[in-house]
Amino acid sequence: MPTKTTDSTITRGRAPAPPKRQGKARLKPAGLGWILPAFVLSVGVIYFCIGYSGLLSTQENRGGTSGGTFIGADNYTNALTNPLFWGAIKHTVVFFVLVSIVQISMGIVFAAMLHSKVRLAVVYKVIIFLPVVIAPAIMSPVHRRVFATDGPLNWILEHIGLEALSQSWLAQTSTSLLVVIGVQIWSSIGFAFILFYASMGQIEPEIIEAARIDGASNLRVLWSLVIPSTRGTIFALLVLNVISSLKLFDYPYLLTRGGPVYTSDFLGTYIHREAVALTNLGYAAALAMLLLVLAIGASILTNLRARER
Amino acid sequence: MFETRSRLSQFILQVLITIMVIPFVVPLYTMIAGSFQGEGLGNYQAVLQVPKLAYFFRNSAFIALVTIAIVYVVTMMAAFGFSKLRIRRREVFFWMMMAALTLPEVVLLAPLFQMASGVGLYNTFWAVIIPIAALQVPFTVLLTRTYVDGIPDDLFEAARIDGAGTVRMFWNVLIPLSKPMAVAVVVLVLINAWNSYLLPLVFLIDPDYQVVTLLPQYFQGQYNDDQTKVMAGALLTALPEIIAYISLQKYFERGMAAGALK
Repeated sequence: MPTKTTDSTITRGRAPAPPKRQGKARLKPAGLGWILPAFVLSVGVIYFCIGYSGLLSTQENRGGTSGGTFIGADNYTNALTNPLFWGAIKHTVVFFVLVSIVQISMGIVFAAMLHSKVRLAVVYKVIIFLPVVIAPAIMSPVHRRVFATDGPLNWILEHIGLEALSQSWLAQTSTSLLVVIGVQIWSSIGFAFILFYASMGQIEPEIIEAARIDGASNLRVLWSLVIPSTRGTIFALLVLNVISSLKLFDYPYLLTRGGPVYTSDFLGTYIHREAVALTNLGYAAALAMLLLVLAIGASILTNLRARER
Repeated sequence: MFETRSRLSQFILQVLITIMVIPFVVPLYTMIAGSFQGEGLGNYQAVLQVPKLAYFFRNSAFIALVTIAIVYVVTMMAAFGFSKLRIRRREVFFWMMMAALTLPEVVLLAPLFQMASGVGLYNTFWAVIIPIAALQVPFTVLLTRTYVDGIPDDLFEAARIDGAGTVRMFWNVLIPLSKPMAVAVVVLVLINAWNSYLLPLVFLIDPDYQVVTLLPQYFQGQYNDDQTKVMAGALLTALPEIIAYISLQKYFERGMAAGALK
């Protein structure tokens, strides 16, 4: 970290220091004013919105200026008895499990491979990480093209002798969720890769060398040495995946609109549909509050687990 | 990690990784190849002639810049305050902020949407900037505070003994010393602001106010699902991000990774 500027700038400080009393010199200046802008911006906006959501969630509210009518917990009981809500929860769980497994294992494998002697490593790195950077909204027409009935995926399948697997991926209820999961995996492996690449770089080469002298094979080194040392990264990714699964919106909305017949619907698309398309604001707010409870519950659970370890 | 003693095993590793990145290349190839089908470069000409195309990029750039400026200033100030100044019940304030860390933006949708009609939030950049900034701040404050905690108090103490006021300490000690973290904060906010989709989708309706993430559906509307032009449009829209990433590779990777390595 560059520290060169400090000394010169400090001594240039606003000339003669007023004599200070010993005790006061130890007292730090008050800082409330310094945290206030950030506090008002984040806590203010967010807590206000949560409070407002809470209020809306007890109303039958169709938007506009007419206001809502109080209906108590009806929105919540409606949501909790609605198969669409449980469908979205189920998709979220499936999404989380599949994305986490593939993202983490592929991230580890790519990181280990690129820590080995591979030519043009930078090119591979860029190709793997690029999907993380490009906006889902910008890439989604391309993904729709890839999975189209006459698209490249089916073309590839037909040319490697798997015609039987060729199908209309986006339009059928059995595969729409898989497409959303696949695209998310495509765009998130690079992120896991970067984290694993960084944490593997911190393993002492001597330890690996010692294991090799003891006769450990490549896979053995990976399994017993490398993977255990990246446990922290795996855990961090799992936590981040819980949150990103719960707040998922862009890909399901852009690829399938949650369909067909809600087979790739998530809480994000569900809330958006209720709030924006149907202007059923009270119900959307109740869903949002349930989502909030799940997100907070998940982060408390993971924090507790983190503390145990 | 993998040791490849023989030429053969090195070759196998190379082939293996090449096969494994094919799924990553397929969408990129589809985009590029698709955009040159049919009229070839004519697709690009058509896309570039879309009226107000420049507006989309200008608006995205504006939103990203303002969001970065806001988040940067309030984050640095808050990190300074939390880490180096005297605040009563500091941790209470801190945890109130951190509680908002995992908040999904859809939660803001219903209340913002309800307010939108009343306060006239439609087609206002602030309807996008403020929520994005608000959602980023807890996280950037957490990152930066942890970083600033690592700067020795002595440096600030020394500045004060030399007669520097709080503002001067902030400006001459904290800002220069936290530059590495600032890069991560800027990249993180840049990507999140530039890529944001839900809030612009809901609040920026007039084409004069729309942003790049809304371009694909605009193209789809314009070209009646003429895939070649949609692909050309996607490529043109992704290009600034691809160029920015390739030329600033290290910063992007570090900025994104900073997120998870708290």
